[in-house]
Amino acid sequence: MIDPVTATIMIIAGGVLVGVCVHFIPASATGAMAAATGIATGPSMLSAGAGLAGIYAAAYSIDSGLAPVIISGAVGSALMLLITILCGNIVLAFGIGTPPVSGQTASGKSTFGGTKDIITGFEQEGYRSPGTDGHGMPFQTVVSGTIGALMGGAGGALVFYAVYSMTLPAISTENAVALAGIVAAGVFLINSVLPAYVLVGKTEGMFDMKIRSMHRTFISCLVTSSIVACVIYAISWLAVSGVVA
Amino acid sequence: MAAISLLLGTALAGFLAFLAGIFEDSESNAGSASNPNSQVQLAPQIGNRHRYFNKAISGEPPANALWATTAATIAYLLTAHFGGDAFSVLIASIIGAAASTLLLCAYGALSHISRIASMKNFEQTLYWDSLLTPLPLDAAYGFLTALILTLLAFAAHGLLGNPFSVPLIALFFGITIGAIGSSTGDIYYGAERLYQHYIFGSGIPISVQGDIDVKGEYGYRNSVDTPYFTMRFGGLVTGLAFGMLIFLDAWSRLFTFAGVWTGVIVVSVLVLIILIFIYLLEVYTRKRYGRYAED
Repeated sequence: MIDPVTATIMIIAGGVLVGVCVHFIPASATGAMAAATGIATGPSMLSAGAGLAGIYAAAYSIDSGLAPVIISGAVGSALMLLITILCGNIVLAFGIGTPPVSGQTASGKSTFGGTKDIITGFEQEGYRSPGTDGHGMPFQTVVSGTIGALMGGAGGALVFYAVYSMTLPAISTENAVALAGIVAAGVFLINSVLPAYVLVGKTEGMFDMKIRSMHRTFISCLVTSSIVACVIYAISWLAVSGVVA
Repeated sequence: MAAISLLLGTALAGFLAFLAGIFEDSESNAGSASNPNSQVQLAPQIGNRHRYFNKAISGEPPANALWATTAATIAYLLTAHFGGDAFSVLIASIIGAAASTLLLCAYGALSHISRIASMKNFEQTLYWDSLLTPLPLDAAYGFLTALILTLLAFAAHGLLGNPFSVPLIALFFGITIGAIGSSTGDIYYGAERLYQHYIFGSGIPISVQGDIDVKGEYGYRNSVDTPYFTMRFGGLVTGLAFGMLIFLDAWSRLFTFAGVWTGVIVVSVLVLIILIFIYLLEVYTRKRYGRYAED
């Protein structure tokens, strides 16, 4: 178990990690029409789905201590994201008949420049359907998404374990787990929606120029998570002190 | 006994998740509920009057979380009150799913009417048949999704031993299945079904978006035909994705070779294997389809 002040700092850190992770997960709503690179849904909702899958996986390890909880959350989240990417690319390959390609890289506007996939070295120019901004998840965006999912899952699990530790002295284990799950899901949803104002519905992960606006997300998530963490700390303190039952 | 419960739970959870994925994708496609709803909404603005059912109440993840959590909460309260053997869990889940389906019908009808009414300036007519014909079908898929997610939540809590309560697991599954459904199956609806008159083998250019198919084999196309088409591929892949996630996640906990780290090690290996599959698929599609003639 950890002391309440450390737990409060963990909630803040977890919230910030969740916010930052959204920048790494390639997603775009117009991807549903195979008109933009990225997983075919809004970045915020996709991150929320991956993060909650991570918290669900982390819950199994709640009695095993902090490190297993965080790492279980991270890999659980990465598993969800990679299965989604694989199946999204399967639909794209056999249902639409197009290869995955990065639109930003194909037009030379990637963060690292050039028109090739930075990991596989595959040329992106020419593989994009005319009139679109790419489609599917080429390998470099898959790696970026995996990093994002690991961060998001770890962040969600961090909040989950912190709230669990703070509330456990006041209530039963079963209720503490449920409460921590609800709060972690809430913190995840708040912080995964905040980057939407920077990303405006589309990102190619760390290969998108929008990654340079990450400091805005960092600050807004820091402020929001601090407020949320203080509220959770205050309520837990009141509950543990017996002021509220 | 615990090992048998885990094995049974893993198999059952994987199968239920597979079914839930298929029904969830069909529900969202019958109601144009996810990202492609933008195309159905855009169609009248470029002169395409349509008869699609368009009931995007919210993003797919929160909508599914609402249906699943409502059903699971009612089912959980009923089983807590009247006892909780397998048969009563099934009956309680059916009652819970029926209640959440009523909610879906109410929101779906109002959402469709208000969305079509907002297109009045573009001469889109509110056709009653485009609401009343697909609504029962959509509600049926919604009912099946909520029912199976509730049963899955009971299986995860009771057989797999997840410490979260049943309604909370249903909330998590609802959001996750919505994220998976809108990321996989919806591509088949948004880029293929709605644009069948465009050549196969291409994404939909931004400049033609909204130019959706409005004519079917006989008369105007309606949303009843949509799941009939998408269930053959998009729905199955969505089911595969969610089924695989739940099954592999549960399967990773069947082993005990490295104590508390076993699950982490197994999932990490699975992650690497999936990465290899993604890479091989990319190599295959690049060779199979090649470059476009013009960019």
